[in-house]
Amino acid sequence: MYKGYAGRILRVDLTSRSVKVEPLPDGLALNYLGGTGFASRILWDEVNADTDPLSPENVLIIATGPVNGTAFPPSGRYMMASKSPLTGIWSESHVGGHLGPELKYAGYDMIVVKGRSSEPVYLMIDDDRVEVRDAKNIWGKDTRETVKTLWDELGDRSFKIACIGPAGENLVKISSVISEMGRAAARTGIGAVWGSKRLKAITVRGSRDIEVADPDGFMQLVKESIRMCTEEFFGKAAQDTLGKYGTPCLVEMLNSIGRLPTKNHWTGVFDKASLIGGEAIRSRYRFAQAPCMACVIQCGYISYIRHGKYAGTITKGPEYESIFALGSNCLVSDIEAIIHMNMLCNLYGLDTISTGKTLSWAMECYEHGLLTKDDLDGIELRWGDVEAMIKLIEKIARRDGVGDILAEGAKRASEKIGRGTEKYVIHVKGMEVSGQDPRAHKSAGLSLAIAVRGADHLRALSSIEELGFTQIVADRYGEDKADALSDRLSEEYKGFLIKDIEDLYAITDSLIVCKYGTMWPPIYYFDHFAKLIPLLTGMKEYGDVSYVRLVAERISNLRRCFNVREGITRRDENLPKRFTEEPMPHGPAKGHVCNLEPMLREYYQYRRWDYETGLPYRETLEELGLKDVADELEAMGRVKRREG
Amino acid sequence: MRRTLLIDAEKCTGCRLCELVCSFQHYKVFNPRRSRITVIRDEEKGVFIPMTCLQCEDPPCMKTCPTHAIYRDENGAIRIDYEKCIGCKLCIMYCPFGGISIDPVTMKVIKCDLCGGDPECVKYCPKGAIQYVRVDEVGVKKRIEGAKKIHERIKVIMGGES
Repeated sequence: MYKGYAGRILRVDLTSRSVKVEPLPDGLALNYLGGTGFASRILWDEVNADTDPLSPENVLIIATGPVNGTAFPPSGRYMMASKSPLTGIWSESHVGGHLGPELKYAGYDMIVVKGRSSEPVYLMIDDDRVEVRDAKNIWGKDTRETVKTLWDELGDRSFKIACIGPAGENLVKISSVISEMGRAAARTGIGAVWGSKRLKAITVRGSRDIEVADPDGFMQLVKESIRMCTEEFFGKAAQDTLGKYGTPCLVEMLNSIGRLPTKNHWTGVFDKASLIGGEAIRSRYRFAQAPCMACVIQCGYISYIRHGKYAGTITKGPEYESIFALGSNCLVSDIEAIIHMNMLCNLYGLDTISTGKTLSWAMECYEHGLLTKDDLDGIELRWGDVEAMIKLIEKIARRDGVGDILAEGAKRASEKIGRGTEKYVIHVKGMEVSGQDPRAHKSAGLSLAIAVRGADHLRALSSIEELGFTQIVADRYGEDKADALSDRLSEEYKGFLIKDIEDLYAITDSLIVCKYGTMWPPIYYFDHFAKLIPLLTGMKEYGDVSYVRLVAERISNLRRCFNVREGITRRDENLPKRFTEEPMPHGPAKGHVCNLEPMLREYYQYRRWDYETGLPYRETLEELGLKDVADELEAMGRVKRREG
Repeated sequence: MRRTLLIDAEKCTGCRLCELVCSFQHYKVFNPRRSRITVIRDEEKGVFIPMTCLQCEDPPCMKTCPTHAIYRDENGAIRIDYEKCIGCKLCIMYCPFGGISIDPVTMKVIKCDLCGGDPECVKYCPKGAIQYVRVDEVGVKKRIEGAKKIHERIKVIMGGES
């Protein structure tokens, strides 16, 4: 058994309410590393194209990686994966805090949940004691009350708890899982998967050791990594921005490059950005810093509103993505309202991004007369109308009235309503677009188009050209490409870049290390992980950068193959017309559209997949050790062979 | 002069890196439950209080130990002599702060030993919430911290940088 891992998988069947413990196979660690890598293999093997995401047959994975629970920064994270009820394809959502490490201390690298309980239940994990317990008394409660009730019941607040709110229970397709009272695994409607299984919560406490292969060597690298995250150039930058303000520091930064999505992604400039940015929150509402476990960057924070209409509001964050989605995206410049809506979404267990984007879609439809007061239960949904938004957030969570339609997410809601409302849905593969604008940041367009879970800012988004890290670009990719790569308004080499970044994040999401340390600031790269993994696990193979890249590519490919099996083709790897046809109206990127096609073609070339069909080449999959995957896809007619 | 830990709970952000490096220092593994320092966390309100042995001048644990297994070492750390300890846990019961706990792996009584005079938690705390100071300077250091807060307030009131 390799070190770093807890060494066991917990399998839970909620239909029979039975649990069993399996050893973690060495081969899984060697070939798929952890986190998203484990999920890619298990979901490929145990889910198929016919699996209904909300059926008992769907598989819910709650996974950690080998680095979680150690002192390596920043790694206080875990992830969930499944087939998405929102998109019908690959679902993956990561979340920080202390629960991931705690799961390792309890002795489990991963939980694999199947089935459906006849009654609401929660999963209680206390080292070797694992029980499926009755959750009738917490079903219906919000995510804060749920935690408090369970703490009372368990008699120890050191239990780390993740749960769904009313939205997940009501199978809202944009619902989240809320970990530790306000950290969200939000995207792809993962909360509805929990709801469909009638799994209200998991509670975890553990007291086991996590051993590492080379303790002294590992600790030396931890020290060096802490220095990189706090003292060197990027470390200092991280402290002055993420450490001081948290992710809201991005609001003004991104507005200044014309990339702060505003008015349902109509433009990238919000004239009131300073009212909802880092300083606005820090000066009046930032109440405490509250980082994930063992983090030295410490972007996590808590907001509290003391006075006025929203007095008493207390919430983790809000994070940049929530501020854009519920703020500039809906033309809301009242930061107190944004903080309050962020809290409501967390209490109900709603994805702030998809909720904000569904509301902004409805607002734009309302502006154009495609949705009326009569459609919206008498609500006049004008841009920036916070009262209307709050009413609709509550309706969505409860599937009440028009909320029942909006709860399906913007794309399905527009399909139900029709009348040309489809035009204003800003989505990729059925998931609402996050806080980027490809017209002001070209490679973001490619990463949104190709990401496995739909419009996604966390699987392949590159920041190295976005905020001008030219030296890193030159170091990684060569002086010759540095200028073109560093130009965020150029499409050149971006297919090459995004393939590389997607693979880097495949390792990041398997270990599991935070994006703040890999995406922005770009502190770690493949070479650092090649040092880390052998010291941590003892798997010497990973000491070779080419092996790390091989595993990364394998994971990237297998996740994409999952989507191919679901019927995804090149046609789906596309962007809303707003980005490709409507020129950016304001700011530094004024006049720009995102020219996706050349970037996409280049990406497919480096991915070694067929551009015309969007299918993988058998040869590519075989080189990555995925022959069985190629065979299964071939039987469905969904794999290509290279000509000649 | 002996030195001791001076903990400023106002600076603690609850990351628990101290817990991890403590368990690593003593066992070369990561396991917060084997740490001799524990951050008591109010996750909702963001209040985090690191709790450990305060190395009392007149330690109740030492007085209560029936086998005289508790002693003060040359660094001023209150230590346990495992040759004499019978595991009765009276020391845990009489400590007013929860400075002593049970190692869930060995089931032995454990407590902060100041890492032999070079505490790891002090070196790693990202917020500087744990200092290792001369016992006679504890009060002065705390006054300096208090003065810094007043200084910050004055700067805000005077309109300077905050």
